[in-house]
Amino acid sequence: MTVETDELSSAKRKLIVRDAANFLGLIAVTAVLLVITLFLFRSFTAHRVELAQRWSARGQDALNQGRPDQAIVALRTALSYAPDERSYEMLLAQALGDAGHLDESYNYYLGLWETEPGDGFINLRLARLAAKKRDTQAAINYYRAAIYGTWEGDGTVRRREVRLELARYLISIRDNSSARTELLIAGGNNPNDVGVELTLADLLQQAGVPKDALNYYQKVLAQEPKNVTALAAAGRMEYESGNFEEAHHLLEEAAKQQESVGPREGVVPVDVSTMLANSTRILALSPSGPLSSGERVERILRARELAKKRFDDCNAQVSVASGLASPLQNLGSRWMAEGASLGRAALMKDPAAQDANVKLIFDTELQTSQICGAPTGDDALLLLLGRSPKTAGHSE
Amino acid sequence: MIEKEPVTKSGSASGVSVTTEEMIARIAPAREERIFLLLSIFIGVISGLLVVSFRMAIDWLSVLLLGSSPNPHQLRIVLIPAAAGLVIALLTRYVFPNVRGSGINQTKAALYINNGYISFRTVIGKFLLSALAIGSGHSLGPEDPSLQIGAGVASLISRRIGMSKEKLRIFAPIGAAAGLAAAFNAPISAILFVIEEVIGQWSAAVLGSIVLAAISSVVVARSFWGANPMFRIPPVTLRDSRELLAYAALGVFGGFASLIFAKSLSYLRPRLRRQPGWSQMLQPCLAGLLVGGIGYFGLPQVMGAGYGAMDQAMHAQFAWKMLLVLALFKIIATTLSFSSGTPGGMFAPTLFIGAMLGAAVGSFEKIYFPHLTGSIGSYALVGMGVLFAAFLRAPLTSVFMVLEVSGNYSIVLPVILANTIAYLISRILQPVPILEQFTHQDGLDLPSMEEIREESNLHLEDATQPVTVPVLQGSESIEDTVKSLAQYGEIKDIPVVLVHCPDGLWYAATRDELEALVAKPAGEISADPPEEHLALTLAEQLGPERTPVLFPDLPLSSALPHFQRWPLLPVTNRAMRGSLEGAVSLQDVLNRYQKR
Repeated sequence: MTVETDELSSAKRKLIVRDAANFLGLIAVTAVLLVITLFLFRSFTAHRVELAQRWSARGQDALNQGRPDQAIVALRTALSYAPDERSYEMLLAQALGDAGHLDESYNYYLGLWETEPGDGFINLRLARLAAKKRDTQAAINYYRAAIYGTWEGDGTVRRREVRLELARYLISIRDNSSARTELLIAGGNNPNDVGVELTLADLLQQAGVPKDALNYYQKVLAQEPKNVTALAAAGRMEYESGNFEEAHHLLEEAAKQQESVGPREGVVPVDVSTMLANSTRILALSPSGPLSSGERVERILRARELAKKRFDDCNAQVSVASGLASPLQNLGSRWMAEGASLGRAALMKDPAAQDANVKLIFDTELQTSQICGAPTGDDALLLLLGRSPKTAGHSE
Repeated sequence: MIEKEPVTKSGSASGVSVTTEEMIARIAPAREERIFLLLSIFIGVISGLLVVSFRMAIDWLSVLLLGSSPNPHQLRIVLIPAAAGLVIALLTRYVFPNVRGSGINQTKAALYINNGYISFRTVIGKFLLSALAIGSGHSLGPEDPSLQIGAGVASLISRRIGMSKEKLRIFAPIGAAAGLAAAFNAPISAILFVIEEVIGQWSAAVLGSIVLAAISSVVVARSFWGANPMFRIPPVTLRDSRELLAYAALGVFGGFASLIFAKSLSYLRPRLRRQPGWSQMLQPCLAGLLVGGIGYFGLPQVMGAGYGAMDQAMHAQFAWKMLLVLALFKIIATTLSFSSGTPGGMFAPTLFIGAMLGAAVGSFEKIYFPHLTGSIGSYALVGMGVLFAAFLRAPLTSVFMVLEVSGNYSIVLPVILANTIAYLISRILQPVPILEQFTHQDGLDLPSMEEIREESNLHLEDATQPVTVPVLQGSESIEDTVKSLAQYGEIKDIPVVLVHCPDGLWYAATRDELEALVAKPAGEISADPPEEHLALTLAEQLGPERTPVLFPDLPLSSALPHFQRWPLLPVTNRAMRGSLEGAVSLQDVLNRYQKR
């Protein structure tokens, strides 16, 4: 009995020792495996990071050098080593877009957008791609989401830039009214930045709201009276709206400033020079404005002579061509009237006759331009004067 | 090829002699139970570490062999898989003969045939050759080999510790769950897969250990790879319930795609295996050449496990036509790689095909029904589940896998719908699951998990008959009992009676017992004088023993052990104690089984 108990105890002890040794062995094996795996994993991770960086750098270079197809391959490889690296994803999406894979790029950005729907940059990219894909509503929605989205860095500036881009897009799709709204909002948030005001004015002009555009140019000129770009643009707008006196003043100033500052700050366009010359001549031809009675009559007589000649030429041209009664018959009867041949002395005495002559001159230029085509030379300038609401109002 | 358990001198798999086993059972009967759970943790940790190393080895080999950016028209894309195929064939033939195939059937064979035995050499071979095959671009996946590596680790450890045969067998699925969980980074799916595909039924005996091992291995894997799911999952949404139609269509496509995939494998694999030995040596090389050719001519995405392409599909980086092309060529490439005997798994290719199909359906819908579509990622995810359900015939795992991988419950409806459709199509058109076909091709007859799952279990109610024997009240005296019995005729004509005892239980008395009870002199039965004997109740005379309490819903087999003692078993109602529903005899039970 005792022998058996001793045997059992001994077996028990052996079993305990064996199990303990086995578990110690297991712990040792686990520890060794853990250390080896850890070492290999660190090396593995470092190698992957290195590969990701190397390929993303290649992708970035290819993108910068205008080789988006190569950039796509490189960036996809980079992403296979660092799948969660957002900057690589952004670059890849950009490369896809640059390579003309619009759908892929759009889908890629959409994937990114789904994880961060409030990201301003992604929304802007989506807006641009939607615009390229002619999905107007999506483009506008993404532009608006970009405006109200989050931005890294100076959010105010970015949002304004996006709003201006949206306005450009709206102008391009001829939604001028919405463009004007966006531009005015952008202007309202603008802390008197001349550059932005010039852009706003330019875009407002493109959106067909010259009055608002002119306001912004004037705002610029109030801050920088010698701003060549503003002077030239405002001059052109005044010219186009028939305010030749203001136009002349502004254009002259622009030309003067251009000469003094040289070609570095703004360049007066060629057409502005023409406008300046025209406005100078128009002011010399114009029978309105602060003129002495004698000077005014002189100008009327000179203009009347030009207009009469224009009428005669056009009338002859129309009669020969159609062989029918001239459509200028009515105008002809006005030229045949007594008032149209009054001399200097008679006109000096009769301001009403002066006004009637002025009206006849402008009507002649307007009607002949419709029938015989655009005039040239002084006739063209007289026509501009005739179309100018200021002059027209004055002449009435 | 299935490995055989080595026969030791003692006839034990572990090499521990029977006497030692007996001795251990004598001196420490609860030893195995105590160390079982602890060992499960060790198995989980070691499997996790090995699977992490395995994945690293694949990635490293891939960069080393195919370069850091494998792209079409690179010559090594063709040459490397072919050369690797040759090396693999040589090593498989001369060094690691048991590493062919995915690893699932080998693990099942270890469980059902070899008492859980998987050799260390097989574990090493599986690790090295699978890593080489996948890393060199063969279209195979790392999950199934991870499963076998885990099972091998479990087998090795349990043998080393000297566990009993019974326990050795149980350890293989525990290790399998650990390996798969680490490979998938999804413990629930791994546990379910092992239960659904390897064990075939829920077993309380191993569930705790499987869970423990799977969690341990996932903890280890996540400490290396991070807690993120296996795929970068975009936000998953179901915008409109009408979208379920698209998911249903995905289920149909998935069902047919899995059919094509399974048919291709079941056609090519046995034909290649029938070829002479020298030809089999060249098959992995040729398969590598063809798979490499697919990559060389424009589709390198189909090479290897293909996780990168799955990620890209999930993030809508392919057009739908390209996605369909990728799915088709993945089927071709995997069929070639797998049928050639190159070691590697089927999980990743299945998921790849599913992801491509799903993303194709999602992209198509996005173009033609833009107001309906959620993210393409949702479709890709559901597509993975669809192929998993239809091809591997693991419907439950497929649903949980998608939920676990996506971490989003809102996708459950599309997943269930699409998976069910695909599963049904696959079952109807391909009655024998592909894994079972492989076992038949290998000359094995492992249990079919699908059949086991669907086996209709018989219950007692299926054999219960109306009571035709006399029913006596246990509260009656012997005298009254004799009178009651008189109405049934002679006692010798009554084979058995049922006695309803006052405690609500029953006693089935045989004719002999009955005769003994009512026989005189009563002194033989009772020490009481005859008058007093006649005054005793029947229940008191029968003593405390009662027939077992059986209910109609119990398994029919539960009655079998009792027929040695009882000729008839009363079946009672669960709601009313002692209320008789009927009775079953051994013959009734046998008749019911034979009728099946």
